[in-house]
Amino acid sequence: MGFIAPAFLAGALAVGLPLYLHLLRRHRSEALPFSSLMFFEPREESAVRRRRLRYWLLLALRLAVVLLAALAFAQPYVMRLAAGAAPARLEVLAIDDSFSMRAGTRLADAKRAALALLAHKPAGESAQVLALSSEVSAVTQATRDPSALRAAVQSIGPTDSRSSFAALAAAARSLAENASAPIELHLFSDLQRTSMPPSFAEMALPAGVTLVLHAVGRPAEPNWAVESVSAPGEVWNPRDARIQAVIAGYGTPAAWKTVSLVVNGRTVATRRIDVPSSGRAAVEFDSLELPHGFSRCAVRIDSADALPDDDEYRFTVERSDPRPGLLIHEAADGRSPLYFATALAAAAPSAFVLDTLTVQQAAQVDPSSYSFVVLSDVGSVPGGLAGRLREYVGRGGSVLVTLGTAAAQQGQVPVFGGALRTSHLYAREPEGFVSVGAADTAYPAVGQPSEWESVKFFYAAGLEGTDADGTHARVALRLADGTPLLIERSLGEGRVVLLASGFDNLTNDLPLHPVFVAFVDRTIRYLTGTEGRSSARVVDDFVALRAGEDRGLGVEVVDPEGRRPLSLQASASAQWLQLAHAGYYELRFANGREDLIAVNPDRHESDLAPMAPDVLALWRGTPGAVSSSAAAPRATAPGAAAGPEDTPAAHSLWWYVMLLLLLAALAESAAGSRYLGTPREGP
Amino acid sequence: MSATVQRFLDPAVLGAISGLDLVAKTVVDGFVAGLHRSADFGFSQDFAEYRAYAPGDDLRHVDWNVFARTERAYLKRYRGETNSLLTVLLDASNSMSYASHAVKKIDYARYIAASLLYLAIRKQRDAAGLVVFDDEVRSFVRPSTRHGQLQRLLAALELAEPRARTRFEAPLEHLRGFLRRRGIIVILSDLYEPPDSVIRAIEPLRYRGNEVVLFHLLDPGELKPQIGASAVLVDLESATRFPVTAEYAAGRYRERISRHIESLRVAARGAGLAYQLLVTDQPLDAALREYLTVRQGRD
Repeated sequence: MGFIAPAFLAGALAVGLPLYLHLLRRHRSEALPFSSLMFFEPREESAVRRRRLRYWLLLALRLAVVLLAALAFAQPYVMRLAAGAAPARLEVLAIDDSFSMRAGTRLADAKRAALALLAHKPAGESAQVLALSSEVSAVTQATRDPSALRAAVQSIGPTDSRSSFAALAAAARSLAENASAPIELHLFSDLQRTSMPPSFAEMALPAGVTLVLHAVGRPAEPNWAVESVSAPGEVWNPRDARIQAVIAGYGTPAAWKTVSLVVNGRTVATRRIDVPSSGRAAVEFDSLELPHGFSRCAVRIDSADALPDDDEYRFTVERSDPRPGLLIHEAADGRSPLYFATALAAAAPSAFVLDTLTVQQAAQVDPSSYSFVVLSDVGSVPGGLAGRLREYVGRGGSVLVTLGTAAAQQGQVPVFGGALRTSHLYAREPEGFVSVGAADTAYPAVGQPSEWESVKFFYAAGLEGTDADGTHARVALRLADGTPLLIERSLGEGRVVLLASGFDNLTNDLPLHPVFVAFVDRTIRYLTGTEGRSSARVVDDFVALRAGEDRGLGVEVVDPEGRRPLSLQASASAQWLQLAHAGYYELRFANGREDLIAVNPDRHESDLAPMAPDVLALWRGTPGAVSSSAAAPRATAPGAAAGPEDTPAAHSLWWYVMLLLLLAALAESAAGSRYLGTPREGP
Repeated sequence: MSATVQRFLDPAVLGAISGLDLVAKTVVDGFVAGLHRSADFGFSQDFAEYRAYAPGDDLRHVDWNVFARTERAYLKRYRGETNSLLTVLLDASNSMSYASHAVKKIDYARYIAASLLYLAIRKQRDAAGLVVFDDEVRSFVRPSTRHGQLQRLLAALELAEPRARTRFEAPLEHLRGFLRRRGIIVILSDLYEPPDSVIRAIEPLRYRGNEVVLFHLLDPGELKPQIGASAVLVDLESATRFPVTAEYAAGRYRERISRHIESLRVAARGAGLAYQLLVTDQPLDAALREYLTVRQGRD
């Protein structure tokens, strides 16, 4: 037993006060002079003695009040081992609802095991239900309500996400930081090997968390899946399209499989392939007959295994006419159109149709009919054309501006905005040129820095405020002297990309290098929004809904189930959309472009092989087999071996002392009123 | 009696008045004013009747105007003109110093004594005397109608401070040797002696034709003692002390003192004595009224 504030025990010395009142003052009874004691009887002394005996009770109560008050202020406590009584414990039930739990009756088994555990949970213990996939979501808060817990377990349904034990460990760490009681974490999962993070350390559980594993779906069933499909996202000539698919078997014997290509719900081609035992086989479809527009395509196999949802791989293909592009150049510059058009034709055959016009010819052109516009070293842009170009960009159009020697004569950069600074004429310097010094490889048009190493720049235009205005301009390439070479600025819903040199093979030798073709291809695809278009995405991927941060027109999204996941407010401001379900998403972007995105579950989920027993034992911190029921022996997580059960805990006795103090005070009041009160006046 | 007059008979009010003469005058004047010339009582200046002269009558009382008209001698008589004699016996023992409120019993007794003496001398033209006693006669002022008698009596009252114990036999025995004439004897005492003993000591005074009025003075605290849970009472006369309980004081004691009062009342009446219980928080008119009643009976 100890005291939090032992100094207050000195208050017990106050017991001297009631002792003085009772033992010292008691003998000095009040002496009252009276005219005559003729009618009093001294034999009443015995009654007084009896009364004094009663005073001992009053004295004892008063001493108790003083001592208990001093004890209460000192706040006593006792150290008590928690082994004798069941400690307050939080049971956390994490139920894996990832895509692999669709196999067989895994999710139903997991929920049944969780309900069985809840049925045996002590009534005084709190519990919480979590759903585990790529993220951990709390289905309930910590509660003792068994009905709420059961309802939460029942409400969990399968998802298309990939499970992550690293996310579970992170959630356990967060719970342990906020919970005062020890946590017993029950994981109901198929314990897939592929759910492990690359580093085992990410799965480590904090001290105070005891992990109990409830494995379902053992042993692992054989599973075939369409692992991947390689298909173009956009085709202009269907005869040129080639579809490649990889069929994988996980824990499977060798088997012949029929692979079908389905376009808009119709099987257009079929192949039979021999899939080796637990191996992969590739199949190819040479042509793809498609209608114009987006088509919902899929590659299917007839596997009839435990997880049929991964027997189909969805993808989309857009068949479109070549997109028109416009290149505006000075009449005297015949080299730039030649180099650019040649590179574009080589990079994306049949994808684009390029119109080349001089500035004078383009004065009355409406740019809105073009997918992109290139202003190639244009010295002076007519006012009407400049306005139309700015309006075009604001509505989502894209413009590539190059600044050669002709454009340097103007003070302002057309469309892009900003003033031109002193131009850099590197040809007059000792080396005669400068190379690319820094490259932002994350920028879609840049590629690898090594591609730019041999490119010589003899001239580059300097812009004012490019570096300072970082919120709207992004420098993707810099020359060795720090001069920005490739800059992007978002204007409204569109983009303007600026190359501070030309395409004329005079201000640089870029058109003579292979990187020029790749650069033109990536830049134009990026500007037209077709660069990142893949034929299929994975569940939980994000897709960008708008280019800039400015709010504009709403984005329309229809998910695979035909619902609109974005509210009106979110559709007007959301920058990204997470693809949470497998299937086809229909999107209409703010710039008016439409897209159809195929989403497939992560194929890591198709591998139903569980974690090795030794790995599981290492995770739990105790060697042994994985439990298969709720009644399995419980193990302690690493770092939690010295659990709270073995640690003496301080239990405060303050409330008990206060209760006794209250009772003593009440008893003292009653005794004092009874013994010392003035008798009621008689009639 | 009006509230204004009653106020001058309140002992608490009289306690604020210095000087027994002023107290007596205040009490008596207020009391007389409240009587409104009641037919029950006569004072010496009120005309009563004419009576034929008889040999031996005092010639100063002959109405010479009547004699001139009728040539017959008539005596003019006044109401209350009986030349009575008042003797006040004041118990000045220690028990008379008890008080549970502002007025001690001895003060209350002095107010009554002074009022009676003032009433007798100034209003009735009676001779008045005073005996202050405890266990012996402490001071004695012979009854007289001489000039300055009232001042002598009041001075003796002023000096009557409580001391010693009460004993009736010795002082009354001593007093019997002085009382030659019949008259009214007023005894002011708290009578803390057995009733038989009191009556036995007082009764001989009655044998000589005296009218004896026994005023029994008690404090309200003696009738209903207020004692706390634990108290030790000290007898003012004997210094005896012992603890008492509130329960006894509220029960048994009251029974006993009530029985004592009733015994006194019965014994006094049996002996032909007038008995009046006076509580010191009550107005003084009861004593005056009792005295006048007794005196009226003598006429």
